[in-house]
Amino acid sequence: MEIPKSAVDDLARTQAEEATLAALVSQYAGALYRVAYSVLRNPADAEDAVQETFLRVLRHRETLGEVRDQRVWLIRIVWNIVLDRKRRAKTRPETDDVAELARVLPCAGLSAEQIAAGAQHHAHVLACVEKLPAKERQVLMLSAFEELTGVEIAEVLGITESSVRSRLFRARNLMADLLNHSRSLR
Amino acid sequence: MNSSAHNSISGAGREIAKGSAEATLRLIAGLPVPDGIEDRVMAGLKSAPRAGRILHWPSRMQPTGSWIRSAAAAAIVFVVAGGGWGIYTRVQPSQATKVIVMPRAGAGGGFSSAGAMRTPQTVIGPVVAQPVAAQPGDAQAATTQRVQVKPLKKVPAKIVPLTRADAGNKASVHPAVQAAR
Repeated sequence: MEIPKSAVDDLARTQAEEATLAALVSQYAGALYRVAYSVLRNPADAEDAVQETFLRVLRHRETLGEVRDQRVWLIRIVWNIVLDRKRRAKTRPETDDVAELARVLPCAGLSAEQIAAGAQHHAHVLACVEKLPAKERQVLMLSAFEELTGVEIAEVLGITESSVRSRLFRARNLMADLLNHSRSLR
Repeated sequence: MNSSAHNSISGAGREIAKGSAEATLRLIAGLPVPDGIEDRVMAGLKSAPRAGRILHWPSRMQPTGSWIRSAAAAAIVFVVAGGGWGIYTRVQPSQATKVIVMPRAGAGGGFSSAGAMRTPQTVIGPVVAQPVAAQPGDAQAATTQRVQVKPLKKVPAKIVPLTRADAGNKASVHPAVQAAR
C-alpha cells in the first residue's frame, strides 16, 4: 500500500514540533516557574501557570519559527498568565501569601531567633512591595531576575527601555521610603 | 553640619533599605525549582487535546478540475435550499395573539380617571333621501305612492286697524280679524 507523501510530511513536521517543544520545556521550565512563583507565591499555582504557558505554545506552534527570542517570548506569556490569575484570585488575602513565602525564604542566621527575625524581615519587605504602584512593582520584581536585562524587561512589559529605567528608579526610592518609614515607627 | 550628617545617615539608610529589599526579591527569584517539573509539563502536553487537523483526500480522489468543486457547491446549495423550503412548507407559523395590557391606574398612587367614562358623540347628521327614479312599469305604483304633505307654515295674525273707509266694506275684512273682535 502506498503511503501518501503529504502524510509523511505531516508526521515529520509533528515530530519536529514535538522535539522543539520538549527542548523548550527542558530549557525554560525552571525560569518560567520562578517568574510565576514570584507573582503567585504558591508552588502549585506557579506550576499550573507554566503548564498553561506551554499549552499556549502548543496551540500556536506554527508561529514558533517566527519568534526572535524564545526566552523573552515565553516569559512574556507566563507573565501575562500570572497577572491574569492574580487579578482573578483576589479572594485570598495577601498577608497569607507573604507569611507563607517568608517562611520558605532562606535566612542567613542559624539560631532560631535569627531565622525568625529573617522571616519577619522578608515578610515586611514583601508587604512593602505590595504597597507599590502596579507599574513600579512589576518592573522591580522582574529586575530581581538576573537573567533579564533592561531591554528584555521592556520587551516583556511592552514598554521602552527608558521607561523601565525610570520606573525602576521610582520603585527603589519608594521602597526605601516605605522601609525607612516603618523603621522609624518602630 | 548636623543636617548634612543627618542627610548622609538617612542616605545610607535608604541605600541599606534598597539593598535589603532587592536582596529579598533576589532570594525569591532564586528559589529552587521543584524536581520533575519538566516531566510533569511534558506529560500534561501529551495528554492535552490536539487541535483539529485537515484531512487530505487520497491521491486518486484528488479533485483535478474545477467542475467537481462547482458540482459539490451546487449540491450543498441544493440540499440547504431544499431543506429550508421543506421546513417552510410544513411548518405553519403560529400567529401570536395580540394582548393589550392596560396599565393599572391608581395602584401606584398616580393619577386616575376617577371612574369617568368616555362617551362617544352620537349626533347623527341629516340624511338626504335619495330620489326614486321612475320606472315605466311602476307608473301605477307611482300614482299610489303616498305623497308627503308639507304642513302649512303658521303665520301669526296681523291686526290691521279699521279705518272709516273700510268700515262700510266689512266684507273685505279678514275673517280672522272679525273673529278677534
